[in-house]
Amino acid sequence: MKILVVSELRQGKWNNASFETLAAAQQIAKATASAVSAVVIGKGVAPFAGELAVKDVAEVLLVEHDLLDAYTADGYCVALKQVMESAKPDLLLFPHTYQVRDFAPKLAAMLGKGMIGDCIGYRNEGGKLVFVRQMFQGKTAADVTFAGAAPWFASFQSGAFRADLLAAHPSGKAPVNSVSVSLSAAQIRTKPLDLFKEAKSAVDLTQAPLIVAIGRGIKAPENIPQAEALAKALGGEIAASRPICDEGWLPMERQIGSSGQTVAPKLYLALGISGAIQHVVGMKGARTIVAINKDANAPIFEIADYGVVGDIFEIMPALTEALEKSKSS
Amino acid sequence: MAVEREQLEADVLIVGAGPAGLACALHLANLIGKHNDSSNSSKSGPPLSAENIYVLEKGREIGAHQLSGAIMNPKALAELVPDFEKSAPLDTPVTDDAALLFTKSSSFRFPITPPPFKNKGNYVVSLSKVTKWLGGLVEAAGVNVFKEFGGAELVYEGDGIAGVITEDKGLDKNGKPKDNYTPGYELRAKVTVLAEGTRGSLTKKLVEKKKLDNINPQSYGIGIKELWDVQPGRIAPGYVAHTLGWPVSTDMYGGGWIYGLSNNRVSVGLVLALEYANPQFDPHEAFQKWKTHPFLKNLLEGGKLVRYGAKSLPYGGWYAMPRNSVDGGLIIGDSGSFLDSQRLKGIHLAMKSGMLAAETIFEALQAGDTSSKTLSAFPKKIAQSYIKKELWQVRNFHQSFQHGMLRGFVHTAFQQITGGRGLIDPLLAHAGHEAYKKINGRPAPERFKGDGQLTFDRLTDVYHSGTRHEEDQPCHLHVADPNICATKCVEEYGNPCQYFCPAAVYEMAKETNGSLKLKISAANCVHCKTCDIADPYQIIDWVVPEGGGGPNYEGM
Repeated sequence: MKILVVSELRQGKWNNASFETLAAAQQIAKATASAVSAVVIGKGVAPFAGELAVKDVAEVLLVEHDLLDAYTADGYCVALKQVMESAKPDLLLFPHTYQVRDFAPKLAAMLGKGMIGDCIGYRNEGGKLVFVRQMFQGKTAADVTFAGAAPWFASFQSGAFRADLLAAHPSGKAPVNSVSVSLSAAQIRTKPLDLFKEAKSAVDLTQAPLIVAIGRGIKAPENIPQAEALAKALGGEIAASRPICDEGWLPMERQIGSSGQTVAPKLYLALGISGAIQHVVGMKGARTIVAINKDANAPIFEIADYGVVGDIFEIMPALTEALEKSKSS
Repeated sequence: MAVEREQLEADVLIVGAGPAGLACALHLANLIGKHNDSSNSSKSGPPLSAENIYVLEKGREIGAHQLSGAIMNPKALAELVPDFEKSAPLDTPVTDDAALLFTKSSSFRFPITPPPFKNKGNYVVSLSKVTKWLGGLVEAAGVNVFKEFGGAELVYEGDGIAGVITEDKGLDKNGKPKDNYTPGYELRAKVTVLAEGTRGSLTKKLVEKKKLDNINPQSYGIGIKELWDVQPGRIAPGYVAHTLGWPVSTDMYGGGWIYGLSNNRVSVGLVLALEYANPQFDPHEAFQKWKTHPFLKNLLEGGKLVRYGAKSLPYGGWYAMPRNSVDGGLIIGDSGSFLDSQRLKGIHLAMKSGMLAAETIFEALQAGDTSSKTLSAFPKKIAQSYIKKELWQVRNFHQSFQHGMLRGFVHTAFQQITGGRGLIDPLLAHAGHEAYKKINGRPAPERFKGDGQLTFDRLTDVYHSGTRHEEDQPCHLHVADPNICATKCVEEYGNPCQYFCPAAVYEMAKETNGSLKLKISAANCVHCKTCDIADPYQIIDWVVPEGGGGPNYEGM
């Protein structure tokens, strides 16, 4: 059997799951007396192919093309299909990455083949390979085998195999063979833009020394800029209690409380927040709590160090103005 | 878009790991174990294994969604686990049972405790703890319990059912897949057992679709409970009291409970029938007021609220029991109306219904026929068991109270001397939500705030329920037409959802233009199902949220 491992590079760096998959391939090869090759795809990636060649592989296939510089599912599928036509592997193994989830099923479908994704192991049952994948969040494991003829596709979950068990090449280095592929811009229907980072880490309220938090008392999203102006004047971050984020007036990562962030700033300014326990558990560790609320019976006053019973729409702009003034003088 | 689902096949799939579902699983595993031990020499029937029994539980762990008073009659448990007293967390046997009549400022103890309130030989327990323990036995027997998975849809086949589709995980608010999206599994089983508790969301659909209703619609109540740690010496472990009267008016049906547990812990709660006339009545507020009665004030003062919860219960009894066997399916426990509405006891009946279901299933699997032909042995077994005996005596009990306490006592007096027949048999019932009277312009009542010591507002109580849900998921409370809420319901009933929900999920929020709009804080939901039951237009459909969400009723 011929096994081909499809390695993954992203922005000029290895995805380490590639090595884990290569280790898996070596183990399968040992159990089934097969040969392992690996393929490296991209542009200017020859050094990476060299890195794989020192591992115990029969050969490393190097696929380079201008149009493979940035990842596209179309580009990878067209290229890999040609690689398969020349290399004729029986089993293709992938690391189960986001990128692989994107293109590998498509490649398998192009060839009319099935794919077993996200496997955590395999067994060799008298020459027949059985792949193991998790179900019910890991509560059970299902055994899956291929019904049709080769080539077969499978991907391994990250962490399922140990990269440090990779065997080195017995005689130093395997050959690196270039495979030229023909690929035209017309075949690639997607246009990759800049990579973006997840917005999650955009704001870290837990590190903010000053927080201005708004609650239902803010009444309408049009009034939020007033609170933001105050936060800016104080040099603090804006945050909110749950109803505000529920309404989508502020993003969820700015929510303080039992279902949001837990914070302990030096100053917590609570504007129009009633102080339901769900909110209080997220901010009671603040060193100084200042609360402004119309309702003198609002529970927030029980934990506030300073409280103002009053209208936030009078106090917010006045505070902002006073702060700006003291800064300029 | 058709979703491709992974399939898994089982012999038996039980939806819900409560007393009924777990008793069914354990009894069946025991039957299979015995069969496999004895039939080595003379193989009869197909090979069976406890591993082919699956149980789904939507809670984070077994017991997380279990709430009851609870006084447990150990009758069924003794059959299921004969040496249960050695290892079950029974807390404390009942030592004293009192029936108290409350007026606003005083209480009167009935000199003789009426027989339905007698509890000698029973135990005061935490149902959550008992279920957790039972779940351990079930897992040790080899049964697969899938926690954090709820039954979202039934798989229909022919005239019956062939399994369940679990809920999709990793969908965002708008139903779009997130990074961790996993479509629900299609679990197929020869027999699917619905053990979802009161107003099970799958049971409801099955009963509707297959017209399984009995002559009476199901009647429901809501129980609201707090667990307190009180000052030493205030209550003896095993002390049990039931209260009648204030603050429950005579045109309503309900009462309170006070159960002493060990270590100065006490369970207090109020049960109310969900068939009252005033749509702006607030059961949570009634419960809070009840706690200000001098009797409870003395008990709780200086103590600390430990946990809060709420749950609905089926009052309807024998004449509201849905047909409980179809091709490939059985209905057990509270889902199947196995509750004695007079004694308000259902744990032993739920367990027994599960055990009889297990016996039915075992015979069906051996015969290789799981159609309704063989599964219809289940209602027959019930009829021959003490379930029927207990429920038959009180078959007209709850209906008697649909027009208030006073008429109820007349009816039940006659039932008492005629073995349950009473003046009319069967006494018909109407659905509880039909009892609402229109508000006719009456302004909205002011909401109860609580003093933060003895009484609490709903949000504070919800906090003590330990309820958590993944925030970014589709709302699991489907309102068929929110326009009705904002127009018709405002006028006619003043939006009862704001009042009956014990978890502050529903709110009519004022828009900037002055109009009202329904706002649903689904993450507060304690899974009591009251909204699904008590909404006057029956347009709220409670469906399972992402598994693992919901309350944490540890110790409840």
